[in-house]
Amino acid sequence: MAGLAADRRTFLKGLGMLGAAALVPGCATSTTNSNSSGSSGSASGELSLQSNLSAEQAKAAMEKLVEAYGKTGGKVKLNTVAAEIFRTQLPTYLTSANPPDVYTWYAGSVANSYAKKDLLLDVSSVWDGMQNYPESMQKLSTGENGQKIFVPTNYYWWGMFYRKSNFAKWGVTPPKTWAEFLAVCKTIQSKGVPPIGIGLGDTPWVASAWFDYLNIRINGAPFHRQLLAGEGRFDDPKVKAVFTKWKEALPYFDPKGKSFPFQEATSALLGGKTGMFLIGTFFADSAPKDALDDIDFFQFPIIDPSVPVAEEAPTDGFFASKKAKDPEAVKKFLAWVATAEAQEIYVKNSSGTVIPANPDGKAADTPLVRKGKAMVQDAKELTQFFNRDSSDALQPTADAALTKFLDKPDQIDQILKDWQAAAEKVFKA
Amino acid sequence: MTATSIESLPETAPGKSSRSGGRGRPGWSGRQPRSRLHRISPLILAFVFVPFAIEAVWVFWPALQGFWLALTNWDGLTAPKFVGFGNFHDMVSDPIFRTALKNTAIWLVLFGGLSVIGGFGMALLLQKERRGVGIYRAALFTPVVFSLVVTALIWRVFYQPDGLVDSVLRGVGLGNLVRPWLADPDTALYAVILPALWRQIGYVMVLYLAGLKAVDPALYEAARVDGASAWQRTRYVTIPQLKGVNSVVLSVIVIDSLRSFDIVWSMTKGGPYHSSELLSTYMYSTAFQSTQLGYASAIAVVIFLLALAVILGYLIRAFREET
Repeated sequence: MAGLAADRRTFLKGLGMLGAAALVPGCATSTTNSNSSGSSGSASGELSLQSNLSAEQAKAAMEKLVEAYGKTGGKVKLNTVAAEIFRTQLPTYLTSANPPDVYTWYAGSVANSYAKKDLLLDVSSVWDGMQNYPESMQKLSTGENGQKIFVPTNYYWWGMFYRKSNFAKWGVTPPKTWAEFLAVCKTIQSKGVPPIGIGLGDTPWVASAWFDYLNIRINGAPFHRQLLAGEGRFDDPKVKAVFTKWKEALPYFDPKGKSFPFQEATSALLGGKTGMFLIGTFFADSAPKDALDDIDFFQFPIIDPSVPVAEEAPTDGFFASKKAKDPEAVKKFLAWVATAEAQEIYVKNSSGTVIPANPDGKAADTPLVRKGKAMVQDAKELTQFFNRDSSDALQPTADAALTKFLDKPDQIDQILKDWQAAAEKVFKA
Repeated sequence: MTATSIESLPETAPGKSSRSGGRGRPGWSGRQPRSRLHRISPLILAFVFVPFAIEAVWVFWPALQGFWLALTNWDGLTAPKFVGFGNFHDMVSDPIFRTALKNTAIWLVLFGGLSVIGGFGMALLLQKERRGVGIYRAALFTPVVFSLVVTALIWRVFYQPDGLVDSVLRGVGLGNLVRPWLADPDTALYAVILPALWRQIGYVMVLYLAGLKAVDPALYEAARVDGASAWQRTRYVTIPQLKGVNSVVLSVIVIDSLRSFDIVWSMTKGGPYHSSELLSTYMYSTAFQSTQLGYASAIAVVIFLLALAVILGYLIRAFREET
């Protein structure tokens, strides 16, 4: 109930923002004007931080983070917006005449697309103090023109989560290969429980995890990235192979998963109504903390051992608007959030399932996190997630194609043809 | 505003019959406006032009911009690129647009038609003053008071797996009909129409109740004296007398159908895979999810033209019949 009220409040805020943007005459089509019409600029020297971390624990952790920064003398005003509204409003924020200064966002092409439009602050100088970050993070944070545009603060992993007690009860052990995985599914189904949980109502993008993982297991990460960058075709036979494999697991999916969002799918998993659930660790933000002790995960099963193992390790962090009122203060804040101690503050106060991006930062010392960190570190290749490796505009095309496939697997050829047509439209735009 | 009209309905009813003889209107009401035409007070001008100026900034200017954007490709970040009628050309071959158009037509017919039939039926049933009739009227009107988003949330709980709908069906032995109502492409659209109707019927009922109160009771008396049956009185007295209300209801229905967005968006977001997409939801998702603002504006133009065509068509016919 409280979450609902908060959502509405943030929604109204977003609406107000939209209205304010519309007030600036002609702003709808002209994007070249910058600070000329500063209407409500905060002269207090306070940075405005627009955050999409609206889940309860993540939001609380952000508040703690801002509070801690306040103790170092900086001033930051946190404005938390529901994730979905944040996503749709981000272009409006960034192109408005008087945008917020700093934003939570995702690393990868989903951030670079704004750098391409020259909307982001060059934070290369912040990176001078981040020499200990691995090269993969550096690459991920670099825009088209070689400038650093992103400061990563943490990352998480995706895995097949399950309840240890239930696996013990059903007498199954975590599978390593696809064949073992299907066998486990069969056993769980024989106990009268739908083996694979999913939550597609409202959150159809969860299905993309299956596509991503099957594609990087069968065709490898480089092929996957090219496909998502518009250099491949979705009606390629190699893509069809992904769906042929997926079809083998379809009978084991929870039919109710089409109706509810991933949060309810999480409850279903915790309540023992499904066997396992391919999800990112963010699900823990909406799970009771005591239930987490019984949670474990296994790596998405290996399908072709000759394909270098890749994992999804989406990286979160901050970027800043090019029109930030006080770029030096922004860089100071970003340099601070890149430190190990700042990232530990966030990890400690959130559900603790994210891993600090700073290699010196300590993750929560639980077996689950240790295992997750090890899995990501052992991976030969890392991918982000469907929308992060492509764009938010391509995500709806995947949602339509994948939910339709789950419903009508026999129409796969037509689905892939439609997907390719829809994707071409996005890449052309 | 509309809520007070329910309460005031019974009170105005008895007064009506005393005025029923007055066919020729009292003279003063006709004379007054004519003399005022010569000198228009600045206050009246202010009342006209200040709202007009505000409308111009908030409504007309953005609307004109929408027409211009419909002719461009625009991602919201860089400058719009003029493409002429390219967006409209793309629409013809866009299967999602066709689904949305078809669904909007279904929506217009089912949502519009059933709410008129239902609302009119309820108004006929509840027009007579009986004990407790106010309770029924209020009960039917209550859904109108709820925000559509709240309505959607309530119905989503009804529809959820093992929710009220499923358990009722299982309870009466129709368990084999149970399906993921909002996630099944065959049922999603209809599952959304139902709560929309649940709300709209109450609204249309109130409009018709107000219209029925305005029908001169002397006409019924005359018809009864001439031996007209109840059906004939409805068919030949009530329905023709409601012409004015009908045009209001039609405009309301068409506008409400074409702008129906909130309930669909909060229940299915146009899914699963666009099967419950309306033009309005498709417009929103192309604009704000795929950030193809030019294409979305073109869809908005289509919606506008559709609304205009339906309403103008009706109004022209109505005026022609009157003259």
